[in-house]
Amino acid sequence: MSSASINSSAGSLADAPAHVEKRRGWLASVVHHALSRWGTRLSLAWIGLVAFCAVFAPFLANSFPLLVKIDGHWSSPAMTHLTAVDVTLVIAVFSSIVILNFKGLSRLAQAGIFLVILLATLTIAHFVIKPPLVRGYEEYRELKQEGRVQAMLPAPIPYSPSDHLKDQFDFTHPQPWAPSGSHLFGTEQNGEDVLSVMIYACRIAMSIGFISTGIAVFIGIIVGGFMGYFVGWVDLLGMRLVEVFGAIPTIYLLLAFCAAFERDIYMVMAIIGLTGWTSDARFVRAEFLRLRGQDFVHAAIAAGLPLRSVLFRHLLPNALAPILVSASFGVAAAILSESVLSFLGLGLPVDAASWGRLLNQSVGQGGGFHLWLAMYPGLAIFLTVFSYNVIGESLRDALDPRLNPQ
Amino acid sequence: MLSYIVRRLLLMFPTLIGVTVIVFSVMAFAPGGIGAALRSAEGNMRAEDRKKVEAYLNKRYGLDKPKVVQYFRWLNQVSPIGFKKDEEGNAAGFGFKPPDLGESFLRRQPVIRVIAEALPPTLFLNLLSIPIVYGIAILSGIYAARYRGRTFDVTTGSLFLGLWSIPTMWSGVMMVGFLSSVDYLHWFPTGGMHDTLSAYMRFLPSFAADGFHRGWLLDSIWHLLLPVTCLSIGSFAFLSKLMRSSVLENLQADFARTARAKGVSDQNVLLRHVLSNSIIPLITVAATILPGLLGGSVIVESIFSINGMGKLMIDAIYTRDQELVMSETLVVGIVSLFSLLLADILYALADPRVSYE
Repeated sequence: MSSASINSSAGSLADAPAHVEKRRGWLASVVHHALSRWGTRLSLAWIGLVAFCAVFAPFLANSFPLLVKIDGHWSSPAMTHLTAVDVTLVIAVFSSIVILNFKGLSRLAQAGIFLVILLATLTIAHFVIKPPLVRGYEEYRELKQEGRVQAMLPAPIPYSPSDHLKDQFDFTHPQPWAPSGSHLFGTEQNGEDVLSVMIYACRIAMSIGFISTGIAVFIGIIVGGFMGYFVGWVDLLGMRLVEVFGAIPTIYLLLAFCAAFERDIYMVMAIIGLTGWTSDARFVRAEFLRLRGQDFVHAAIAAGLPLRSVLFRHLLPNALAPILVSASFGVAAAILSESVLSFLGLGLPVDAASWGRLLNQSVGQGGGFHLWLAMYPGLAIFLTVFSYNVIGESLRDALDPRLNPQ
Repeated sequence: MLSYIVRRLLLMFPTLIGVTVIVFSVMAFAPGGIGAALRSAEGNMRAEDRKKVEAYLNKRYGLDKPKVVQYFRWLNQVSPIGFKKDEEGNAAGFGFKPPDLGESFLRRQPVIRVIAEALPPTLFLNLLSIPIVYGIAILSGIYAARYRGRTFDVTTGSLFLGLWSIPTMWSGVMMVGFLSSVDYLHWFPTGGMHDTLSAYMRFLPSFAADGFHRGWLLDSIWHLLLPVTCLSIGSFAFLSKLMRSSVLENLQADFARTARAKGVSDQNVLLRHVLSNSIIPLITVAATILPGLLGGSVIVESIFSINGMGKLMIDAIYTRDQELVMSETLVVGIVSLFSLLLADILYALADPRVSYE
């Protein structure tokens, strides 16, 4: 991928003699090396599962049945209650699979086509898809009890995350309910099914992880790139900025931001991105410092290329692998930050489906302890953070020339 | 050495100013500006306090002035060196003065007094965890490096990466739930740093006519065991890995080979020659560990209800006590800056190869 790379395919030659004839770029060889570990593969499998749950959430957990026959008529309440975001996610996944199978296109063109499709779908879906505003989650349960339902295909988990089980309200047996046959992971304080909330929470985890890391990496590349390329007083100034942001403990900075700004998901993403860019900037700076003296950079400058081109077309592709390491740890940190904020009750709005919010409810005011509210969401946060850390770690090992003799 | 410390102190000033700029701009560029949060908390206040808030905001920040002027006005008040003012607000010379961090209207006392009460528990928790974290990391790092590739090395390698990824809040909640909750084991208290009666206890455990008294020391240990475990559980993984690679590197260095060649035993090579050189990178990374520990104590304090800086911060956000939030971020930033300074000085002391002249 990186045309100017000098030590291309060196890493893969040593350990994969079967692929000797296949030459890879530096980045590709690093990724290949990292993927050869089973720990990385397991981590990717878990992240894949989380991503699957995030995309297909309404088909996995829904109070509305997927298919139902009422008074002789078939209908799909789950489909009519899909939101624009639900539809966009599914279309995005299928279109990305199709695009990746077009071999003739370059990666950049593929990414461009994907972005265009994504934006177009989102815009169209936003205007076309108008799900009913009032959602009677108990409607089909009541219809079934009345005996008007002849046939029904419910979702695997027949509860939506904001379904408060109003029809099953019980004075003698207050919420939260312990796990049982109908609620595998139990319910939380408001009667929401924990498993269904956890499935929808995958969306928040994935989107916060990627978008806030994207923001952080973007700022990190700009600041770190300028520091590493220009050196001198730009570097001095930039390092002070990095130091300032690094000195205030991230969580205090996050809390201060949360105290000042209104709480919605986009704000939380922006805040986590704004507080997390320092390590990316350090990485990019170190890489640019190393590369700026090399011949291909001098050649690019001598050819009269504009600064934009030197920085982002010649230097950046060669610094991508370390950025990948830093971004991988960054995603873990961002997911953790979001769940800490939700745990403290200061992050997302209180009705958002988030793992941290469930964890928050596990220790009651009176000293009671709801194991299922601590166990499953905590395990989900842990596994996700652990997976990204394992991936980051193996990418770093793959980059390390000492561990990886050429 | 002295000149290095002085130079390092001078370098700290721009960073310190940067911290104040960030803290101020977070509040100043929030929707509604600097007074918005405080005014929105007026519902919780008494009538006479509300009038005071308006007068206070105008006097402290000069809200009709541009943001830059507001910043310098605020900076002058929070810094211990600045322009002094007399009762009428006229300038009365330049010099040392008590820093004025503002007024907490909801608590009806100066912010600086609130923070002075909350800082010791947090510092205490952190000072207690640092030796534990470093002790475990150094010991396990040496052991893993010495028996490289054996069971201990491999298990701790993956186990510590796992421990590192355990969210502090999860381990905290599980500990409180299983070990403190009345529903389960109830071995430990659910919160606080001391028993309510700890002031009347003797220092050491004792036996009296009415049975065993655990005493102040044992009571504190009993209360602090879970929070400190919870705080340190994630940190030693990273350090231990660093220690391991650093010991491995030094064991292969020329000076270690020379020592072995002149007949020093393996044990002494490790303990006398390699160990002291291997600890140096651990001191350098204190720069990333210390802010992390301070941050981790926010979660620990809120789970174990310890009245430290973290819990105060969260309470302040819930009650929209903006002056408290602002000052607290500033104070934590300064504390962390000073601990980084300390780490830098320790580094210079530990590594004679580094010359700062």
